[in-house]
Amino acid sequence: MRAEDERYFERLESQLENAFDVAERAKQRGGDPKPEVEIPTARDMADRVENILGIDGVAERVRELEGQMSREEAALELAEDFAEGRVGDYESKAGKVEGAVRTAVALLTEGVVAAPIEGIDKVEILQNDDGSEFVNVYYAGPIRSAGGTAQALSVLVADYTRALVGIDGYNARDEEIERYAEEISLYDKETGLQYTPKDKETKFIAKHMPIMLDGEATGDEEVSGFRDLERVDTNSARGGMCLVLAEGIALKAPKIQRYTRNLDEIDWPWLQDLIDGTYYDDAADADDEGSDADVDADDEGDGDEEDAADDGDDAADDEPEGPPRVEESTKFLRDLIAGRPVFSHPCAEGGFRLRYGRARNHGFATAGVHPAAMHLVDDFLATGTQIKTERPGKAAGVVPVDSIEGPTVKLANGDVRRIDDPADALEIRNGVEKILDLGEYLVNYGEFVENNHPLAPAAYTYEWWVQDLAAAGADVQALEDDPRIDLEFPDPEEALEWATAYDAPLHPEYTYLWHDLSVDAFCTLSEAVAAGRVEDDTLVLDYADPVRDALETIVIEHRQRESESRIEVDDWRPFVRTVGCEPRQTVADGAALEPEEQEPTIELERTWTVDDLSERARTWGHETEGDNAIEAVNEVAPFQVRERAPTRIGNRMGRPEKSERRDLSPPVHTLFPIGEAGGAQRNVADAAKHAETMSDTPGVVELQIGRQRCEACGTETFKNRCPDCNERTTPDYRCPDCDQRLEPDDAGRVECDRCEREGTCVETREIDVHEEYRDALESVGERENAFEILKGVKGLSSQNKVPEPIEKGILRAKHDVSAFKDGTVRYDMTDLPVTSVRASELDVDVGQLQALGYEEDIHGEPLTHEDQLVELKVQDIVLSDGAAEHMLQTADFIDDLLEQYYGLEPFYEFEDRQDLVGELVFGMAPHTSAATVGRVIGFTSAAVGYAHPYFHAAKRRNCDGDEDCVMLLLDGLLNFSKSFLPDQRGGKMDAPLVMSSRIDPSEIDDEAHNMDVVSQYPREFYLATREQADPEDVDVEIAEANLGTDLEYTGFEHTHDTTNIAMGPDLSAYKTLGSMMDKMDAQLELSRKLVAVDETDVAERVIEYHFLPDLIGNLRAFSRQETRCLDCGEKFRRMPLTGDCRECGGRVNLTVHKGSVNKYMQTAIQVAEEYDCRDYTKQRLEVLERSLESIFENDKNKQSGIEDFM
Amino acid sequence: MPLEAAARLVSELTSRGYNAEREAVTRLTAAENPNAALERVLEEVPDDALVVRVDHVEAALATTDAGGTTRSDSPASEPAEPTPSVSTGTSETVDSDPTDQSPVETEGSSSIGRSTGPATAERSADPALRSLEITGDMTGESTGTGEYEDFVSVFRDRLDRLGGKLRSRVNHRPATAIQEMPGGSEAAMVGLVNDIRSTASGHWLIELEDATGTFPWLVMKDREYVDLVDELLCDEVLAMEGTLADDSGIAFVDSMYFPDVPRTYEPSTADRHVQAALISDVHVGSQEFMEDAWNAFADWLHTDQAQHVEYMLLAGDMVEGVGVYPDQDEELDIVDIYEQYEAFSEHLKKVPGDIEIVMIPGNHDAVRLAEPQPGFDEELREIMSAHDPQIVSNPSTVTLEGVSVLMYHGVSLDEVIAELPEEKASYDDPHKAMYHLLKKRHVAPQFGGHTRLAPEERDYLVMEEVPDIFHTGHVHKLGFGKYHNVLAINSGCWQAQTDFQKSVNIDPDAGFAPIVDLDTLDVTVQKFS
Repeated sequence: MRAEDERYFERLESQLENAFDVAERAKQRGGDPKPEVEIPTARDMADRVENILGIDGVAERVRELEGQMSREEAALELAEDFAEGRVGDYESKAGKVEGAVRTAVALLTEGVVAAPIEGIDKVEILQNDDGSEFVNVYYAGPIRSAGGTAQALSVLVADYTRALVGIDGYNARDEEIERYAEEISLYDKETGLQYTPKDKETKFIAKHMPIMLDGEATGDEEVSGFRDLERVDTNSARGGMCLVLAEGIALKAPKIQRYTRNLDEIDWPWLQDLIDGTYYDDAADADDEGSDADVDADDEGDGDEEDAADDGDDAADDEPEGPPRVEESTKFLRDLIAGRPVFSHPCAEGGFRLRYGRARNHGFATAGVHPAAMHLVDDFLATGTQIKTERPGKAAGVVPVDSIEGPTVKLANGDVRRIDDPADALEIRNGVEKILDLGEYLVNYGEFVENNHPLAPAAYTYEWWVQDLAAAGADVQALEDDPRIDLEFPDPEEALEWATAYDAPLHPEYTYLWHDLSVDAFCTLSEAVAAGRVEDDTLVLDYADPVRDALETIVIEHRQRESESRIEVDDWRPFVRTVGCEPRQTVADGAALEPEEQEPTIELERTWTVDDLSERARTWGHETEGDNAIEAVNEVAPFQVRERAPTRIGNRMGRPEKSERRDLSPPVHTLFPIGEAGGAQRNVADAAKHAETMSDTPGVVELQIGRQRCEACGTETFKNRCPDCNERTTPDYRCPDCDQRLEPDDAGRVECDRCEREGTCVETREIDVHEEYRDALESVGERENAFEILKGVKGLSSQNKVPEPIEKGILRAKHDVSAFKDGTVRYDMTDLPVTSVRASELDVDVGQLQALGYEEDIHGEPLTHEDQLVELKVQDIVLSDGAAEHMLQTADFIDDLLEQYYGLEPFYEFEDRQDLVGELVFGMAPHTSAATVGRVIGFTSAAVGYAHPYFHAAKRRNCDGDEDCVMLLLDGLLNFSKSFLPDQRGGKMDAPLVMSSRIDPSEIDDEAHNMDVVSQYPREFYLATREQADPEDVDVEIAEANLGTDLEYTGFEHTHDTTNIAMGPDLSAYKTLGSMMDKMDAQLELSRKLVAVDETDVAERVIEYHFLPDLIGNLRAFSRQETRCLDCGEKFRRMPLTGDCRECGGRVNLTVHKGSVNKYMQTAIQVAEEYDCRDYTKQRLEVLERSLESIFENDKNKQSGIEDFM
Repeated sequence: MPLEAAARLVSELTSRGYNAEREAVTRLTAAENPNAALERVLEEVPDDALVVRVDHVEAALATTDAGGTTRSDSPASEPAEPTPSVSTGTSETVDSDPTDQSPVETEGSSSIGRSTGPATAERSADPALRSLEITGDMTGESTGTGEYEDFVSVFRDRLDRLGGKLRSRVNHRPATAIQEMPGGSEAAMVGLVNDIRSTASGHWLIELEDATGTFPWLVMKDREYVDLVDELLCDEVLAMEGTLADDSGIAFVDSMYFPDVPRTYEPSTADRHVQAALISDVHVGSQEFMEDAWNAFADWLHTDQAQHVEYMLLAGDMVEGVGVYPDQDEELDIVDIYEQYEAFSEHLKKVPGDIEIVMIPGNHDAVRLAEPQPGFDEELREIMSAHDPQIVSNPSTVTLEGVSVLMYHGVSLDEVIAELPEEKASYDDPHKAMYHLLKKRHVAPQFGGHTRLAPEERDYLVMEEVPDIFHTGHVHKLGFGKYHNVLAINSGCWQAQTDFQKSVNIDPDAGFAPIVDLDTLDVTVQKFS
């Protein structure tokens, strides 16, 4: 690690410590569930693993083993430690196995996800029929987040530990084996599995499995056979078990085998049979062979892909007739929904053109789009909008990049213009008749590596051309240094000169999309050009439809003047030369005499005839012969012309970007229960006045709440501090049967020895909410008018039902922030990556950056002005405007909390958002249990959270539309408590059980390691794309190369800059448009404008994937719906015969009404009509419409028109 | 008579848009030069006629003969007389001596037909002998508007009507009254099954609901009735008798009663030998529609083997439909729904015009899926008008010469088969699944599951009267048998195995036509594939 990196982390950590100290002091004074901060700090993965597990000594051992061996081997090594008692303090054998299994899963998931604690419920020891003991591992649903390899390895570790502690293997009974098979298929049907083993395979695994896989019921659907088994507690599918068996063992068998081979204690010889598929009686069964192939393919995937690519190459060599093209893929169009437009159909002309490169706000599952294009697609794309894409991945987050080519549009006045400036886009937007081309679409090399996708043929761009130029012998350095020359955007004359002088391909700026033009159309065009004339240095062609279409196809800027019967092209020289015409100056007689009227008439002469074209050029094509004129162009042009945009990438909108506060629904200010007394709003003030009957005392509410006891004076209370003597109280556990007072054991379990029942401290008691509310207001010195409403919760879902002090809620309400289920205040943002930033775009000044340790720009120059790019440090993040606003509110809340509740000095004291710069926050992703410390560096108007890709990867996110949250540091430290977490499966997910104070690049999601970090891709790369080579075979440096070196935190270079990371619309039109109908109208309207989109197909798909499923689903739901009581909410499977609610006598009503069934009917019919959908689709709608009429209309009282009443 | 000749004539007639009475075809085939005769007939047939009738043929043949054939034409001119006379004669004898009727007729026809060939059977296509009555057709009677109250009244109607069949058998009390009874009392209740669940100790808890509330009934796992629990479906009506537990919160079941068909039930039969073809699931428009089998069937109907087949009942799924499952268009032979019905109508025309047809819709047809399903709308009726079938709702009861046939498409069979243990109901024995519906006296008891319900003012799905024949389709398996003397019959289909069926390992019984003797309720199965 470089010294400056060390300084950076030390600085973060000292800042963290300061905040920690404040929080510790506060906690000791307040009435929180625990008198100390409940989020332990982890400096590395070993710490995180230990903290998330809560087993002492694990971290130390992990650090010892790290570096010596792989994590998988370390997990097995640790299993030995557990077995021999070197790690963990377990008496029982079951405990040892449990510890080892959890540790293995935690280790393999880098201590970030909740799987080790939530996904493994318990390990117990049961008896085989012969009396020997075996191990039973209880899995739960959240084991899913561990992934197949960790799941499979957990089984291996369980088995290994079992062997070491001397427990026998599991002998499954026949009915248990059958049960596994039935359950797996049930689970697959109900929930779906990535890989579903055949029954035979499942049974084979179940039969040989040396430990029993068991788990909690996760669904309502029950198995029909093999019910009520003695050793299986449930008749429902056990989701965790199914995942481990199917996606773990069955799918990852080859991976486990790698480790079983080296272990003497255990023996899994059957794995080989599983891998080979030789467990069948009839191994020749074709289906079964297929499934084995699947299993194999997973492990040897890379090899196979390579072979396939090689085959592809061979095939290409065999028949060279045709340009290299990728295959169309329509997958991304599936499940198209109303209001989310298609931007381009698969590989469609006029769609986004693939350009290779990585912009500074790019990589890690993102797609660079020109901001002008974002505006022109009617603002449907904004920074952070997710798109579903054709390739290389499935989805990507959109980032604005303006150093690529913008879209080309045809305006109502006949002008065809390329729009490279977002401001121009906004100006001309209303006049756009057609979007001929969406412009370039930037994808970085790393995406192809990550998705293992063969390289797609590259667009001919400046980066490639300049290397071609150098390869052709030009002194590029000299040209670059020449201040009169703009190498990237040269004059037409210069471009022509270079092309001819150096024999290099024509500059991409003047290379048009000849490959989209057919040879015939090309010949027609060149004839038209030869017949054209040059006036005022403008090429004028006679207006004709084929000429116009050709010009639109090759996407050249021009003006169509149909009324004057002419078409004008400005930069005509390279174009004219490319179509094989020579300008010939005809010296008009009078020209020399009248210098004022200098009209040098230039005539054009065609240098070739159709017969000159070779057979190859005439038939060159991809889909049909002669549909690609590039070879013809190369034969007639006096220079080489490369394919400008051979790869188009289809995509459609996925999710909109997000930057919103995270509120529970309904929002909650305080985790204090008020039952039904607060009404639907859960208003604490209402609850304080509520009385069921006249005789009740207002504000006294019966609630389920945890009982606490003051050890000092014996007072019983529900508070964490004794109301009498202010000492801390402890939970008062009692046996529900004999009321004996109980103490929790070391493992935290509370059980009554006499009654063998679990003890609890939860009791139902009457709480005077009025008194609590008044006291709290008084204690923080606030009056009721300080806030609009204070919302509590109906009941507490945590195990001990410890309420939060109302005081905190009062201050939250005052500052309009709300609490998440764990007591923290959160703000959600879509993740986007950025590796270099400039002060100007972050709304900060150079001084602020310097104060944060930014001293040099990316070129090593001293940082002096706002526009210099600096390389972002890994834990620095950019907040969206909304997030900054929300953080300020949170900071005010924290300051008030410190002052008015804890009685300490305020901590933040912010005046405006500039004060936020340099402050620490937590980043925290759903399904994980570890927060990562980040530092605010600036702000952006885009509705996203920009941060270093490593920061996102540390949270186990990529940037394909994922979102997660930030919390203000001190809010997390002060207000988070494990005691608030719901006592249910998954309750510990999305809670900061531990925090990482520094990011170790080796311990993050390795997807981030595939990001390329160079400033230029080599010419060989571009050439290799034409061969559709395997990305691994190309030499472009990716982040992985620097792991473990001094450079691991630096050197994230990019190939493309962008003016500002927040260009384009701030919000997608999807979010600004009102109703679903408005969105859909806009979607269909856009599809008409885009040349790359087939609007009928869009309409069909919207009907097929959105309207019809909605209609059919709701109609089905209607005719088999359950009903609900409007008063008490009780649900009934069928309408009660009494008509009224059986529980409370209240009114019962349907849950699916006519209105929700037919809401889209008329719209769907209208869209089908207007966009000329297939008869099949229209008839489906007709049949449905009649069904609706038949169900919802009385045959004898048909709805009559208004004229009946006139 | 050579079958091919008849078939050729029929297809020729259909191709020209005509339907033909079987007798007419027989006459034509018997003609010396059938082709010429056919041309002649077609010339003479009135413009507005859709069906070529015997009299048309006779008229035409008469003129042909008059045109100078040397063949003995006396029999040809006679039939115009004898046919009505024989018929009238038999119809008179119906009341007095029904058993003799068929032989008399057979005798009569053979004596007439003998001169033109052995197969020119004289059949009693006399409409006067026939009777066909529809009950329970709710087409055009759908008054429900999808309100909560509509649902409540359907279920109340079910309890009233089926409960009425049980109330006489037990000393029933309302649920609320039972709740008040002291522990240890004997109690009985009639209600809808509201919930069935197993207890931790393996007993079964069945919640019965009536118009006053619910009461839980416990079936102990070691009691004889426990076996019946497997057969129960939610929302069927039954009665339970038992003893209240000490704390009165629950009752232990001693006996269970179903509405059921009385064991001694004696079905009605026709007074003459007449047959009905009970088919379903034609699926015209599907790539798997077995056109050849259908044509063979239609041709067979024109032969004298089929001379007694005077009725044809179609239990739904005339066409493959549109949008029944995702991406269905890729597997359709005819993608247009109206063209599917037009094609179906063409296929129907091949059926002798003097066969009475009754049809109900199924889940592939272009009507609402929720049951009861009204019969086709005017537009589709118009398309299928050539053969003038009776189009009624699913379910409906059609009474043929005294024999009542409950026609129901059979969507609920899927549910019965899924919910009941395999030995009690399976796809291989679809009629056994039907027995359960007969026992429950309801064609689709369970709400909220597979079957969809459209609420109407009354429960059209109740079997108020015991049918003599219960006819369903849908599962594409052929099966028939008798339950308490009621003939339950599930027709096969006319659609070969689909990819979907292959994937779930269902081998359909395709190309079979079960023929029921209405005078004996015996079934013979004709195979055409």
